[in-house]
Amino acid sequence: MNSTILLQSIGFGITTAAVIAIGAMGFTLQLGVTNLLNLSFGNIMTLGAFASLIVERWHLGLVPTILAAPLVGAVASVLLARTLLAVFARRQNGAFELLMVTLAAGLIIEYTLDALAHLQVFQFQFPSGATVHLGPFVFTVLSLALIGAAALVLAALLAALHLTRLGKALRALSVDPKLARACGVPMRRMINLTWIVSGALAGLAGLVYVTNSLTISAGAGLNFLVLVIAAAILGGAGSPVGAVLAALVIGVATEVVAAFGGSYYSQAAGLAILALVLVLRPSTGMWSGPTRDEVTV
Amino acid sequence: MPVKTGRPRVIGAIATALIVAAAGTAAATAKQAHTARKTIQFGQIADFTGVGAAVISYDNASQLSAEYAINAAGGILGEKVVNVPIDTKSDPADGLVAVERALATNNIGVVTGPLTDTAPVVVPILQRHNVITVCPCGNPNFDHTSDPYFWRLVPPDPVGGETMALFAKRNHLTRVAAVFGTDQGSQGDLPGVLFGVKAAHMRLVANIGLTPDQTSYRTQVEQLIAAKPQVIFTESDGATAATFFGELKQLGKLVPIYGTNATIQTPYLNALDAAIGTKNLSRYYRGEANASARTSPAASAYNAAVTKIANRLPKPLSQWLGNPFVEANYDGLIMAALAMDASHSTNPKVANSWIPKVTEPGPGKTIVYSYAAGLRALKRGKKIEYIGAAGPIRFDKWHNSFPNQAMLTVKPNGTPVSSFTIPATAIEKLR
Repeated sequence: MNSTILLQSIGFGITTAAVIAIGAMGFTLQLGVTNLLNLSFGNIMTLGAFASLIVERWHLGLVPTILAAPLVGAVASVLLARTLLAVFARRQNGAFELLMVTLAAGLIIEYTLDALAHLQVFQFQFPSGATVHLGPFVFTVLSLALIGAAALVLAALLAALHLTRLGKALRALSVDPKLARACGVPMRRMINLTWIVSGALAGLAGLVYVTNSLTISAGAGLNFLVLVIAAAILGGAGSPVGAVLAALVIGVATEVVAAFGGSYYSQAAGLAILALVLVLRPSTGMWSGPTRDEVTV
Repeated sequence: MPVKTGRPRVIGAIATALIVAAAGTAAATAKQAHTARKTIQFGQIADFTGVGAAVISYDNASQLSAEYAINAAGGILGEKVVNVPIDTKSDPADGLVAVERALATNNIGVVTGPLTDTAPVVVPILQRHNVITVCPCGNPNFDHTSDPYFWRLVPPDPVGGETMALFAKRNHLTRVAAVFGTDQGSQGDLPGVLFGVKAAHMRLVANIGLTPDQTSYRTQVEQLIAAKPQVIFTESDGATAATFFGELKQLGKLVPIYGTNATIQTPYLNALDAAIGTKNLSRYYRGEANASARTSPAASAYNAAVTKIANRLPKPLSQWLGNPFVEANYDGLIMAALAMDASHSTNPKVANSWIPKVTEPGPGKTIVYSYAAGLRALKRGKKIEYIGAAGPIRFDKWHNSFPNQAMLTVKPNGTPVSSFTIPATAIEKLR
């Protein structure tokens, strides 16, 4: 195999990882706080991407285009939590039932988008910029911007979680919601905030996805969700750093396997790593697994 | 808001849903049985949902236009044809269940379908039930089938590869890269394309698989560029193609792109057009298809029928006019209907053997180009030869018929702009 392609594939893997990481950080934050596996996350991501696509088609400028995706993602996420999920939660449904509700919500979003888009694939006009050589790696200006965006989101999340009272409250809620509530943490506000941030990151992930892949279709999010969940679980639920590292492993693994001529198995390879980690993972630290069985929406 | 498990409620909900579903099924069955007494049912076995659903409109176009043409002429032996959609959900296992259920609850004598993805599993069931099967499937295992009810008017998959190879050779392009999606449909067509490359003594410099809907294919793009192909033979879903070829275009490395007949469909072409631009689509892309006899009376009859049902199809109408895939299915249904008229029976066991009798040439036969003309001739006691919209129908002993092939330049909506015909005889020489 050509060693240049192998090295280049690592660079492409880092870009892929950046795309996965933004989604995985949003997913893991919401999973950590609410303990709910939100299967509509990928569809909210698609919704965000379509929102940006529409704004871009309206020629409203770069900033509105970038802001549309996280904004729509946040609104959709909160709406889902405060309407469907809230109704089912009030009826004392458990984790599994709520998971099925998120799956149903995701399918409703996907099929609605499908119907509106007439099963078409749309192109997103976003200039990729010049090619940049960094050592053996090859990037475009756009891919560097995506990597930068992922790093920025990680830094912002870490700062918010560890340097602010809000972050402390969220972390407390994720560890022991009952104790957190007893200590005066405003639970409803914190949960709403989580859905907003998680939804905004889903929307942003959609935008990042579409700028990288150049195209968007109604079903894009569902496939992408597999990688996002893989990264979130591999990284440990509720851990943004873990999610980013896991995204890096999956992104680089898929591209390197493709470079070895195994493009038929590239995604399977990434998921095989996930399976391996789940089997071999230690039972402490970030892989200690869920410590509560209560869902909080 | 903390919540707890509510298992009894869930079980109750499931039980209610099952009762409602059972009641609905019983009502539907009763209604279908009532309908079956007055009409002839044509099954439409297709991917209405699932990964193959993007091309369902092509099935609808052929089925609905053929049924319109038959009913407008008075039906078969005075009975109207009704459509029975059967959803395979793009999955062989689901397809099997859906077809078994449909055959058990309806009186279906003729079907179009199944498609390549479900055909190996579903076709034997249809044979067991003696259903005339007009199959738009490309699976090579039907090249020499002994199933008497199986009729195929589309070429087997290798023909696509052979046509593309002959066209590439004509253009002095000998270094070929195969770029195929890893989905079942695309992979089903890959062996035929590789066979064509080998048969035409061309050089396969890369065989690249694309897992659908990835965020990027840069590694695969670099692999392709390193292999220095002169032409790409391809099939995948539209989104995958758009990402891959969009990235290839960004690097300024586009080469001629020859797509299988599965790529001459609006979702794919729109996506490719969006990714590489209309100018590049026209310059680099060629799609493989049956050579359509676009100016024949049969093509005009098909165009008239599809225009009548255009309000039930996605716009624009132009994408359905002269579409080779749709025409082949349409011809199959018209042929089956004429066989029923000629045999004076809607029983598929009787009508099936009459199919060659209404399509083969022969002395004294009246050539007809539409269902209405065929019916009129039969009523006058004439023997007929039906010439289809896609051209004459010539079945071999395994009930396969494929016309001359063509490489098309198309508009993004699939409307052919120009075509280069590859004669069926030239393709057969490769085999």
